[in-house]
Order: sequence, then C-alpha cells, then structure tokens
Amino acid sequence: MKKLFIITITGLLVISLSRCHKAELAPDTAYDDRLSGGTATVFDETSHAFTLSIEGMSARDERVHELGDQTFEAKFVAPPATVFGGLGSIFNNVSCINCHRNDGGGFPSAGSATSGLLIRISQEGTDLHGGPLAVDGFGTQIQDQSVLGYTAEAKVNIAYNEIPFTYPDGSTASLRNPTYTLINPYIPFAVPYMLSPRLAPPLIGIGLLDNVPESTILGFTDPGDKNGDGISGKANMVFDPTTGQTKVGRFGLKANTNSLLTQVANAYQQDMGVTSFVNPGESSFGQQQYPAATETGKPELADSLLNFVTFYVRTLAVPARRNVKDPDVQAGSVIFNQINCSGCHRPTIMTGPDFNLPQLSGQRIHPYTDLLVHDMGAGLADNRPDYLATGSEWKTQALWGLGLLQKTTGTAFYLHDGRARTIEEAILWHDGEAAKSRQAFTVLSVQERNQLMKFLNSL
Amino acid sequence: MVLFGLAACHKSNDTGGSTGQTFDSLETDVIKDFTNDVVFFRYSSLLNSSLTMQTGVNKLSNATTDDNLTAAKALWKNLRADWEQSEGFLMGPVESNDYDPNTDTWPTDYVQMDSVLASSNPLTTDDVKNLPQSLRGYHPLEYMLWGKGGSKTAANFTTRQKQYMVSLIDDILSNNVQLLYNDWFLGSDNYSQLVLTAGRGSTEFSTRQSLFLNIISAMSDICGEVGASKMYEPFIAKDSTITESPYSSNTLIDFKSNILGMQQVYMGLNGGKGIRNLVAAKQLDLDQKIQAQINAAINTFSQITDRYEVAIFTQRTQVQNTMVQLAALNTLLDTDLKEFITTNVKD
Repeated sequence: MKKLFIITITGLLVISLSRCHKAELAPDTAYDDRLSGGTATVFDETSHAFTLSIEGMSARDERVHELGDQTFEAKFVAPPATVFGGLGSIFNNVSCINCHRNDGGGFPSAGSATSGLLIRISQEGTDLHGGPLAVDGFGTQIQDQSVLGYTAEAKVNIAYNEIPFTYPDGSTASLRNPTYTLINPYIPFAVPYMLSPRLAPPLIGIGLLDNVPESTILGFTDPGDKNGDGISGKANMVFDPTTGQTKVGRFGLKANTNSLLTQVANAYQQDMGVTSFVNPGESSFGQQQYPAATETGKPELADSLLNFVTFYVRTLAVPARRNVKDPDVQAGSVIFNQINCSGCHRPTIMTGPDFNLPQLSGQRIHPYTDLLVHDMGAGLADNRPDYLATGSEWKTQALWGLGLLQKTTGTAFYLHDGRARTIEEAILWHDGEAAKSRQAFTVLSVQERNQLMKFLNSL
Repeated sequence: MVLFGLAACHKSNDTGGSTGQTFDSLETDVIKDFTNDVVFFRYSSLLNSSLTMQTGVNKLSNATTDDNLTAAKALWKNLRADWEQSEGFLMGPVESNDYDPNTDTWPTDYVQMDSVLASSNPLTTDDVKNLPQSLRGYHPLEYMLWGKGGSKTAANFTTRQKQYMVSLIDDILSNNVQLLYNDWFLGSDNYSQLVLTAGRGSTEFSTRQSLFLNIISAMSDICGEVGASKMYEPFIAKDSTITESPYSSNTLIDFKSNILGMQQVYMGLNGGKGIRNLVAAKQLDLDQKIQAQINAAINTFSQITDRYEVAIFTQRTQVQNTMVQLAALNTLLDTDLKEFITTNVKD
C-alpha cells in the first residue's frame, strides 16, 4: 500500500512537473513588433517597398525570382511576336505590373493601360464545380480591351455619387458610392447577368499566406457565431483545375482560388489573353474574337516563365512596420483590438513548414487577415456569389503594408473596388459582420480615431 | 611655410570633411541641389530636346529627305540621352503618373504597329495617346526613323508613317515630358516641394531619411536594371533582338547614360552638392570607395567597342566585366550606402 502511495505521489509529481514544463508561447512583448512577415520582413519604406524579395535566398532562387520579376513587368504584345507575344485577342491589360503598380494596388478605372479594375460576370446558377456560371459569349470576365482588328467584349462605365456621413460628434466624411454598367457589348446579352468589380490588390507576403495551414484557416471559422461577437466567418471551398481538388480558397478578393499557380495562370489567361499549360484555351474561345489565324495550339507562356512568375510572387517580402514605439500608434493598436477590428483582421498567424524556403516556414506573421469570407453588408455587396461566398461576402483583406500603399501605388485606393479614397472611408463602408466594429469606430473621440489611423498607417 | 600650411588647410576643406557646416544644413543643401541642379536641370533639358525633336520630325515630315532623316536620328539620340540619364532618379511622378511606361515601353509591337498603320485609325495625337503603351513613345519613334535592321531611307516613308511619327513625338512631348516637368515644378503643391520639405512637413517624405533612402534605392535599382537585366538578358540568351534600342543600335549609349545619370545624383551636378557630400562628411573612405566603383563601372563601358547587339557575340568578356562592376556597385549602394544613411540621417 505504501509502495502504491509512493508510486502515485511520484506519478503526480511527474505530471505536475511536466505541466510546469509545458511549452508556452512567449508573451507578445517578447517579439519585435516591426517584423510583420517574420524572417520574410524587409526594412524599406520607399515607393519600392512592395517589390523586394525575401532575404537569404540561394543564388539560384534569386535568379528565378529575378526572371519572374522581368516576366511580371513584361508587356505582352500581339501574336505572332516571339518575345512576349500572345496578348489577347481580348484582354484587360498588357502586363502584371500595369495593374499591380509597383507590386502594390491598382487604379479603379477600366479599359486603359493604367487601369487596375476588372469586372467579373456570371448568370444565375453554378458550374460543374460549384463556381460561377459563365454567360454565353462573355465567359466569367469582361475583357474590355482588344488588339487591333478585334472588338472588346464591352466597355465598363463607372459612375460615382457621394454619400455624406456624419459622426455622432458632428464631424463629417463623404463616401464614394460606385455604379458599374456595361456599355457597347459586342453582342446582346441573352440572359440576365450579375457583375462583380475587382481591384488589383497588393502582392506582399503572398508566399506566407500560401503557407498558412488549411487547418489554421478552418480553425478561425465560427459558422453559427457561437462566441456571439457578431462575426461568423466562413472558408470558401473552391475547385482547383491544376489539382482537380476542392480546397480552401485563399487568393482573390472572394477567396475563390486555392493555389498561387492557378491564380497567376488565370490572370494571364483572363486578364491578358495569354495561355499556359494550366489554361491552354484562349479566354475568347467560342467567340467571334477567337484569333484562329494565330492560334498554334501551344501555350503562349512557356511553363518556365509561368513558374518563375509564381515563384516571384511567392517570394515577395513584407515591409517592416514603422513608428511602433510612437505612443499614439500603440494606443491605436489597443483600440484596434478593443473595437474588435481584430475579430476578422487577425493580427498574428503562424505559418506551416516549408522545407524549400525557410524564410516562409514556421513564421509568426502579422497579416491582419483571417483569410475567411465575411458578410460585409448591402453597401459593399456585389450580389454575385462565387463558390460558397455569397453576394455580400468578401475575404478579409490583409492590412500589412497599408501605410505604404499611397507611396507604392502613387495614389492609394481601398476596398475591393477601390471606391474608398482614404482608410477612414474604407472603415465607414464596413457593415454586416463588421457593423458593430464600425459603430464602435464612429463613437470614438477624434483623438482616438486619429490614434487608430496612426496605427493603421504604421502597418 | 605659412602659405603652405594655409593651402593645405584649404585643400582639406574641399573634401567636405571639415567645412564647419552642420550635418543638418549639409542635408538641406544636398536636397536643394538634388532638386535644382540634377532633377530640374535634367527635366528641363529633356523638355528642350523633346521640343527640338518635334521640330526635327515635323521638318522631316514636310520635307522627307535623307538629310532631314539623318538630322532627326541625331535628335532622337540626344533625346534618349536626356531620358536615360533621368532614369538615374526614377522616383515620384515619372513612376506614379506612368510617364515611364507611356514613353519607354519595350518590346515594341511590330505586329500591332503594322496593323495600326494599315488601319483606319486617324493617328492623331489623341489617337496615339489611347493606343497600348507598346505603340507609344521613344521606341516606336525609333522604329519609324530607322526601320527594322536600321536601313530605312527617306524614300521608304509612307504618308501614314509620317503621320504616326508626328503624333508620336507630340504624344511624348505634350502628354508626358511636359506633364512630368509640370508635376515636378509647376504649381504650389508640386513634387519638388514634397522633396524640399522632406522631414519638415512633406506629406510624401515624413523624414529626410526616407527621402534619401528613396533616392538611393532609385540609384541601386538602375544599376540592377542595367547590369542584371537589360545587359544580362540578351547576353545570356545570345539574342540581339531583345536589346533595348535595337533599330538604332543605341543600346550601349542607353546603358551608359543610365549610369551617368546615377553618378550625377551621387556626385552632384554643375557645382551642386550630391549624396557624396553627406558621405564624405562622416566617412571619407566610404565615399572614395563608392566613387571608385562608379568610375570603374562607367569605364568598363568603353572597353565594349562593338555596338551592343554585336558585342554580346564578339566581346563577351568585356560585356561580362561591365556586368560584374555594376553588380558590385549595386551591392555597395544597397548595403553600405543605405546603412550610412540609416545610421547618420536621423531626422
């Protein structure tokens, strides 16, 4: 009996000691707040802050990144040119960089060389895999430019009206409200259609977000809003043509793409009319703009170049935060959590393992997104479902680099369609699951609002 | 003996090491001289050479002779020299308002250029303005003047080509170069004001450090672009069709102009102070190292005696040597000079 007692005591002791030794995360204060991308952070606050590669890559990887960079910037021209030929026949823009200015965001205009906005289109119903159903003669995206001799599918007219907003304390703001209409379609529409505007987003830290484990993202979901904070959050499950699998979507403004390779290849095919092994068919296939005379049946973008661009995007670093010790910035950070912006814009996520790029592996990052789609209310709704994302749901946009967007883009525009000209305007558009936080924002004092802005600009 | 001593003193002052000027006021001078002596000088010169080019192109259009063609080609090279030197400080409006891609897009699009010439497009300036960027700017104009292979003569010009050429230079001048100049120097809220007030209320540059870092990142970027991209790609692919100015064979001069423009930012121009004065005031050895590396890079260009389109086949060692020097310069600017600024410019 005594023996048993000693064994029990020893056992308990071991258990309690091992409980003591249980690994705990270091407190937040133990980390350098500036390192938004962990090891994949760079210290640069110039207009080129979004264009830098993660540091410490092998010479070979550096070279692949560089080649990807060149292809990213290359302006495609009409076939059969041998150097970067294959543009069109219909397209939205001629290079990646024309929309992703300095790898930052785009301008909310459509149909010109400086335009970064495109319009997705679909009709009622879903395709074989649960995605948006194409409109005959137009596909799922309006290509509003064409090479000479061909006709663009339609032109996009963007009209704005101003909605005045008054804070409880009497200060005012103005919200720019857009209306999108298609004009001069090359053929009449046979069915009613739904439109969704999408502005080119900044590309920093994509490799890190790609490396967030699927289980982590699913862990953020709260379908029935069990914690009662008004935020549910849903993972969009989407079909990936390269793997043939349905997985968590993490790219695109409605999280409608699962893999980076597919995202890049879709942009080449849909936005530029450049085919690749992922999308061997022209976006104009079956339409009168199909360039039968110049079609060779071979991908217009070499596999290597597609892979280089994908690698380039994957290895773009995240610029470090600035002014993290400024008391106003620190106060703003507290407010950000207090009014539960952090409910969706998650400050901290751990990435999974990556054996090829240790800079992306197991990093403690601060993207300020949960990669989930949330109901953002009627004001922001496009009313066009995209897989599981409903007409009013949008993916939480990452906020890292927010304070540098003005510099990198030239003129910064915010939200999924660039309607907001300031961060404040973007916040005031938040509704739906974010209604509580927006409401809390409007009753902050002017000083607190400024502190929050300073914090957001430090990201 | 006394005279000798004084002369020695005076000499040491010239190095910028001990002029008695505070570092803060030196920063002010460097920013002022960068704006006025380098940027203002270069963009004014670019505006002038665009105007002269327009006169030359109009003359060629009205009287299409080989003499006028030769003259227009020379003017184009002058214009390019100004533009390429201005790429030594590729920041601000030239970037954010797309003047760079609007005028200097590569590759030019033969197929569409021929289509647009054969089309019923009016080819007015407004029409050209709305064409894709690959059909606007210096290189389509180069194509009009030289033709493929550089063998074009006055007799080869069609009416449509003349119309296109006239509108191309007007688009370069009116829709780009003039606006670029205006953005920097006209109006009360122009970009030069944002630069001059860096760290003193500028909405673009909250600190002087951020301004200097932007200038330096533009300097190192151009070294990288010339050495690791514009030179490297045709070299490694052994492909002379992907050089920068293939019709005029002006490519090598384009490259050198880029680096000369960068050197002007570092050294200052026409007696003005440059970034070097900041460095020399605190770390003379670093300044000398950077100057030497810039010179080494520029000097290697003269070892390439063939035009670049040929040199990638005939003078590979010399071409490689230039790329090595540019890479070393890029690293020096990107690490040592950057670190110097973050250590020493605190406001």
